[in-house]
Amino acid sequence: MEYRQIQTIGGKGNAPGQFATSLRGLAVDAHGQLYAAGDSEIKLYDAAGRLKRRWSTARPVLSVAVAADGAVYAGQLRQIEIFDAAGKLIDTWRDETLLGRVTSIGFVKDGVLAGDAADRAIRHFDRNGKLRNTIGKDNPVNGLLIPNGVVDFAVDAHGVIHAANPGKHRVERYLPTGELLGHIGRFHGTDPAGFGGCCNPTNVAVRDRIYVTEKAGPRAKVYDFDGNLQAVIASPAFDPNCKNMSVAVDGRGVVYVADTVKLAIFVFQPVNV
Amino acid sequence: MSEPVSRRDLLHNVVRGGVLATLGGGALFLVKKANGQVVWQVDAARCVNSRLGDTGAEACKLCTTQCVVALSAVRAVNEHSKCGRCSICPAYFNITSAVDEKGLPSEKLCPRDAITRKPIGKADPEDPANNFYEYIIDEEKCDGCGKCVMKCKEPLGLGSIVLRVRYDKCVNCNRCAISRSCPKDALHQIPLEQALRPPELRPRTE
Repeated sequence: MEYRQIQTIGGKGNAPGQFATSLRGLAVDAHGQLYAAGDSEIKLYDAAGRLKRRWSTARPVLSVAVAADGAVYAGQLRQIEIFDAAGKLIDTWRDETLLGRVTSIGFVKDGVLAGDAADRAIRHFDRNGKLRNTIGKDNPVNGLLIPNGVVDFAVDAHGVIHAANPGKHRVERYLPTGELLGHIGRFHGTDPAGFGGCCNPTNVAVRDRIYVTEKAGPRAKVYDFDGNLQAVIASPAFDPNCKNMSVAVDGRGVVYVADTVKLAIFVFQPVNV
Repeated sequence: MSEPVSRRDLLHNVVRGGVLATLGGGALFLVKKANGQVVWQVDAARCVNSRLGDTGAEACKLCTTQCVVALSAVRAVNEHSKCGRCSICPAYFNITSAVDEKGLPSEKLCPRDAITRKPIGKADPEDPANNFYEYIIDEEKCDGCGKCVMKCKEPLGLGSIVLRVRYDKCVNCNRCAISRSCPKDALHQIPLEQALRPPELRPRTE
């Protein structure tokens, strides 16, 4: 598989569609609309990359996810804000302990998952925000190994959680109950099929395949569910110093990657589409 | 000329854990020095090996080659509070060397084998990745070449390893030979009381 860059969205600046200081999270809804979490705002772009709507969050936003009903969840320090599709605040979950630093959010059939980087774990809540269990801590190092300070995961169509464990150079598979099913990935400093450096991959998305991003050098990669490398997206557009690049994929297989230094969203399309 | 430091203030500074961790034996040596004295120090934000943004550059070795002290008074220091304690540390391993049967790089990075590591807590014999590791730099072996510093800096690492002047080894030349050759003007004289502060609390030189 090969990809080509077809678009750049956002960028550093003070225009409505740009980001002033941070770009941390991406999500795509069922209609192909792109949600970006940056600064203290959620920005909504249509499928053509035009800014459609934006609204403020109470604190600098660290992650974003869109539920099947259109509700938008915004992860922050010690809280998650929940907005309706129009950007109206409908609820706030606050917890000093369970939501220390919410760097990713996802959904299973009847629950909400929140990656808490402060505790190196994933929280599993019911739809009312009541904790069911914690995922990723039942191991000798008491959590995911995240020297980069970000817990990131994605949920596949079967409800399996794929969590980046960069210190182990793996993407691990968990059931919502917390049971570890297995992993893909291994360390390798030169083979692109492996994950290099101290701690990669940093971010993950799942749709028909597993999509990850790495730091130093920054790139996105595509794997099948058996861990076989399918594609490397190593664009010269990425700033070499960026890390923790959020990644999202739409129903067409178009890949969105957040450059955390240039504060831009790079859009890549498979060449066979 | 800086203000004299009272004995009480000096002792207060010295007992600060972060300072001791950073300066090691050098902290005790500093206490013995006269008040008001200036000492040389490396500004990590300027040093080629640790400043952000110079990705892909080769390590600068001028601290090793220019210092008048044998083996150099500049040595690498691991600030443990910043260290990720990674299983595969790019400052410890040559991460592009062949991978061994345990899935680890087969070569170390330091040419003088000055960095050692040990697992924190009970080691997992089956999976080296299932541990945090403490990385210790032997300052008697380190010659300040900066290779580990370059590999530790962000975004590849976390920037916990930096070069520091070891005050118990520095002879405090009026015109430091390293400072005269440093391409980034990263060596500066700072008052003794500043040297006793944690690096993040020192005034920036730019």
